[in-house]
Amino acid sequence: MMLLNSGFRWFVYFYEEYLGFVSFIFRRFDQVLEYSLNHFSLVLTVTIFSLILWISLGLLISRYEKLANTAFGIGNILFVIPSISMFGVFITIPMLGLGRTSATLALVLYAMMPMVRNVYRGIKSVEWPIIEAGRGMGMSARQILFQIQIPIAWPVIFAGIRITVVMITGIATVATYIGERNLGRFIHHGIARESADMIIAGAILVSIIAVIMDYVLGKIEHRITSPGLRNKEEL
Amino acid sequence: MIKLVNVKKVFPGTVTPAVNEISFEINEGNICVFVGPSGCGKTTILRMINRLLEPTDGDIYIKGQKVKDLGVNPDQLRREIGYVIQQIGLMPHRTIEQNVALVPRLLKWPENKIKPRVKYLLEMVGLEPDKVSKKYPYQLSGGMMQRVGVARALAADPPIMLMDEPFGAVDPILREKLQDEFLKLQKEMKKTICFVTHDINEAIKMGDHIVIMNKGKLVQHGTPMEILANPVNDFVKNLLGVDRGTKLLELTKSEEMVERAEEIPTEISNKNCFILAIDPVQRALELMMKKDADIVGVHDGNKFIGTISWENIKKHINRISGDEA
Repeated sequence: MMLLNSGFRWFVYFYEEYLGFVSFIFRRFDQVLEYSLNHFSLVLTVTIFSLILWISLGLLISRYEKLANTAFGIGNILFVIPSISMFGVFITIPMLGLGRTSATLALVLYAMMPMVRNVYRGIKSVEWPIIEAGRGMGMSARQILFQIQIPIAWPVIFAGIRITVVMITGIATVATYIGERNLGRFIHHGIARESADMIIAGAILVSIIAVIMDYVLGKIEHRITSPGLRNKEEL
Repeated sequence: MIKLVNVKKVFPGTVTPAVNEISFEINEGNICVFVGPSGCGKTTILRMINRLLEPTDGDIYIKGQKVKDLGVNPDQLRREIGYVIQQIGLMPHRTIEQNVALVPRLLKWPENKIKPRVKYLLEMVGLEPDKVSKKYPYQLSGGMMQRVGVARALAADPPIMLMDEPFGAVDPILREKLQDEFLKLQKEMKKTICFVTHDINEAIKMGDHIVIMNKGKLVQHGTPMEILANPVNDFVKNLLGVDRGTKLLELTKSEEMVERAEEIPTEISNKNCFILAIDPVQRALELMMKKDADIVGVHDGNKFIGTISWENIKKHINRISGDEA
């Protein structure tokens, strides 16, 4: 009885001291839900735009090599701009201003470097004899792109997409400063109020979203990638 | 079937032509082997025939028509020419079945025609369709992949095949086997084949016609026999090797060298050394050494037709490569 009692006390102590964020999440569940959904929908929007834009650009520069270095240069420069200043710059631009448009645009620009680079690298990783054989058998340039290069490059392209999505989920928290009502708000307010529970709650929820997205993408990747390529890595 | 007229290719940024003013003709149903050191332009010629490269000058004809005029689209032309390369280039993300079916699918054959065709081809190149068709290239050995490469090139039954060192990447024993099997196939298929190799022995074995090239120029062309018997210069002699004479014996049928005789000499019947008229003379040489004889008898079917003697072979070799002895 004594033992049980002390065990219970210890649990209460531990819970209050270290797991306060759990009760925080339950207490503010409506808000948690709203912020999480906002966060998720922002990341989703950014991902969709990035896929369309940066995969096309990656394919383009793999064909027109001269553009490749320019594209990588721009991507790198955008990537090293601190996110808070990028958001700051966008809100000063009329039409964009505070809110989702600025946030989406800034995050799409961040996605450029990892995605364009991986698409390019993936396409270039397709070995020459495979393309030579394809051409020699009478496949058109378009057929070679869609039936050989892209399917073989899938694992590399997908790695880029996964990195990007996880990264965007993290950086999206900063968008809270320009009016996004997302999980970054818990962190932001937590810092202002010196509430560790809020900060931890925000951070953990962001991580959970990132991990789930990565897991789902991993499943999709597994499904799309041909077993002929998949097993090569397992050998 | 295929004719080259003054074909020249200069790659952009270079001065010396990779292929310089080459003309010759390949007959229908023949295997024409291009042989020479690396960089001699043999692969370039191959790639010009199916328009993977365009010649700088000169014309290439297939069945009397300029390849330039054969359809607006070179892809169309290539679908009707089989193409095998040393690195094989199987599509790693596709099954063996899909790999072999590639060209028929490009040509939009109905699916119910493709399936049996793939099965037939895999059997033809010595693979078991049930075992391999659902596998991916990485699950096969090098030799099996090479067979799939040949099956894929044959898929749409093209009258012309271009083969760039198709057996170059496999070990010598397997290479020999693949060569034999391919020659056997060719006897039935009667395709017109352009075959590139740097191995003169392979050229002599596979070729109905050999084109020897060096530094973009055609040095000599003719049947293996013609070339072995009359190499035009030192380059060709070196390429053929010092054992040119014995190589020739491999190609010469015994009946071509036989001294006609009615009765079987006692020496031969005692040692019981006989060969067949269709055996190469080299068999006679081997038998002589094995049985310690100077003369062997030649049978045509069951009939004794004459003898081949050690003296005769020696004279024959001396006549061919005597200048080096």
